[in-house]
Amino acid sequence: MYNLLMKELKLGVSPFFYFLPFLTGALMLIPGWLYFIVLLYFCFLTIPNMFAGYKTQNDLIFTNMLPVNKKDMVKAKVSVIVILELMHIVIAMIYGMISLRLYPNLIYYFYGPSLGFWGLCFVMLALFNVFFIPMYYKTAYKYGAATFAGTTAAILFAGGAEWLGIQNSSVFNLFKGTGTDHMTAHLLILLAGIAIFALFTIIAYYIAIKRFEKVET
Amino acid sequence: MLALDIRNINKKYEDFQLKDVSFQLEKGYIMGFIGANGAGKTTTIKSILNLTRIDSGEIRIMDKAMHTHELELKQEIGSAFGDINFYMRNKIKTLTNVIKIFYHNWNDETYYSYLKKFNLNENKKIAELSTGMKVKYRLALALSHGAKLLILDEPTSGLDPVARDNLLDIFQELVEDGEISILFSTHITSDLEKCADYITYIDNGRIINSAEKEEFIDAYRLVNGKAEQLDLIKNDLISYKKNSFGFTGLIHTQDFDPSLDIKSTIPNLEEIMIYCAKKEDAHV
Repeated sequence: MYNLLMKELKLGVSPFFYFLPFLTGALMLIPGWLYFIVLLYFCFLTIPNMFAGYKTQNDLIFTNMLPVNKKDMVKAKVSVIVILELMHIVIAMIYGMISLRLYPNLIYYFYGPSLGFWGLCFVMLALFNVFFIPMYYKTAYKYGAATFAGTTAAILFAGGAEWLGIQNSSVFNLFKGTGTDHMTAHLLILLAGIAIFALFTIIAYYIAIKRFEKVET
Repeated sequence: MLALDIRNINKKYEDFQLKDVSFQLEKGYIMGFIGANGAGKTTTIKSILNLTRIDSGEIRIMDKAMHTHELELKQEIGSAFGDINFYMRNKIKTLTNVIKIFYHNWNDETYYSYLKKFNLNENKKIAELSTGMKVKYRLALALSHGAKLLILDEPTSGLDPVARDNLLDIFQELVEDGEISILFSTHITSDLEKCADYITYIDNGRIINSAEKEEFIDAYRLVNGKAEQLDLIKNDLISYKKNSFGFTGLIHTQDFDPSLDIKSTIPNLEEIMIYCAKKEDAHV
C-alpha cells in the first residue's frame, strides 16, 4: 500500500496540484468573500484534471499489472484524495487566520473563516467524497459524471449552509453574532465535521472496493 | 514443469467469446500465440494476467493457481502490451524508480546491464523511445525483477524488420538456459518461423491447434489440384480457393489420401492461418 501511495504521489499527481492549494487558499484574503468556493476549487480543478491524467496515462492497466491487490489500489487513490483535501483545508485555514488579522472589524455576510466554518467545509468535502469515490469506481476511469455528482452535492450543501446562516437567527448568531464567544460550539462543529468527513470517506472507500472488484481492465 | 497451464477458459462478451481455451507451455520454451486481429489473443492474455475476469476455467502458472496466488505470481511474470503506453511524458528513470519498489527480487545491477545492452538512456522520456525500444524497456524491467515467465502482447507489431529480428534474437537468448519461458502473441507469422518452439493458434475465440512448431505445421498439407479434382476432396478440405489452374486448399494431413493424383506440399504458417480463418468465415 505504501508503494502504491508513493506511485500515486510521484507519478499520478502533477506537482501543480501540490501548489494549487497555496493559490486557491490565497482567495481567503478577499474580505468577506464566499469562502466555501476556496475549497470547491479542489472539486472543480484538482479532481477532474488529476483523473483525466490517470485516464490518458492508462493508469488503470498500468497499476493492475503490478503485483498489488485491488483493495490497496483503491486505498492508495482514496488516500491521495484525502491528502490533497487536507492540504487544501489546512492551507486555507492558515490564510484564514491571516485574513482575520488583516480585517479585524469586518462584517461578514457569508461565513467568516471561523473554526465552525472549517467544520462545515469538512462536511462539504465528506459529501463530495461519498458521491465521487463510489461513482468513479464503477468504471475506475470515467470521472465526469462522478465529479459532477460530487461537486453538485458539495455546492448544494454550501448553498444550504449559507442560506441557513442568513435566514436562521440562531445560526446567524453562532457564526456572525457579536459579543458572546462561541468557541466551544465552533470547536464541536469542527470536530463533528472531521468525524463526518472520516466516516463518509470510509463508507465511500468500502463501496468503491466492492465496485472495483467487478471492474475489468 | 509447465510454465503456463491454461485449461478451459471461457469468457463471454456481448459480441465475442473465448470458448474452452486450453494450452500449455513448457518451462524454458517460447510459445507463439497467433491469430488474426480480434481473434481473442489479447483477451486471453488479459485473462492470464487477471486483468479480465474469466467466467470459468483454470489458469496455473508455475504450478500455482493464478486466482489464489496472484500477487506472488505477478512477482515472477513480466508483461508488455505492444500498443498500450503508460506515463509517456515521464523519464525512464522516474518510472523505474516507482516500479522497482514493488518487486522483492529487484536487482539494480541486472537492470543497468540490460539498459546498457539495449542501448537505453534512462534520462529519456518514454515518448522519445521507438516502438522497439519501448518493448526492450519493458523487457529490461521484467528481467530485473527476475521474471520467469514473459507474457508479451504483440511485442513485434509496428517494428521494422531489423528491430524485429533483433528482438526475436533476444527472446531466443533469454530462454537459452531453460529458466525463462515466453508467451508472445503476434499476427506476423514469420516471427514464429524464426523463433517459436510451440505454436498456439486462436481463431474467433477458439484454439484451433496448439503444438510443437514442426508438429503443428506437419498436421496440415496444402493441396493443389485441377478444377475437376475438387469434388473428390472438397469435403475433407479445411477450406480452399479456386484459381484459373484449379484450386488450392488446406487439409489435415490425416485426411489426405496420397493415392489421389493431387499435388501436396507442406504449408507455411501464414497459409495455415489464412485457410483456417477462411473456414471460420464460411461457418459464420
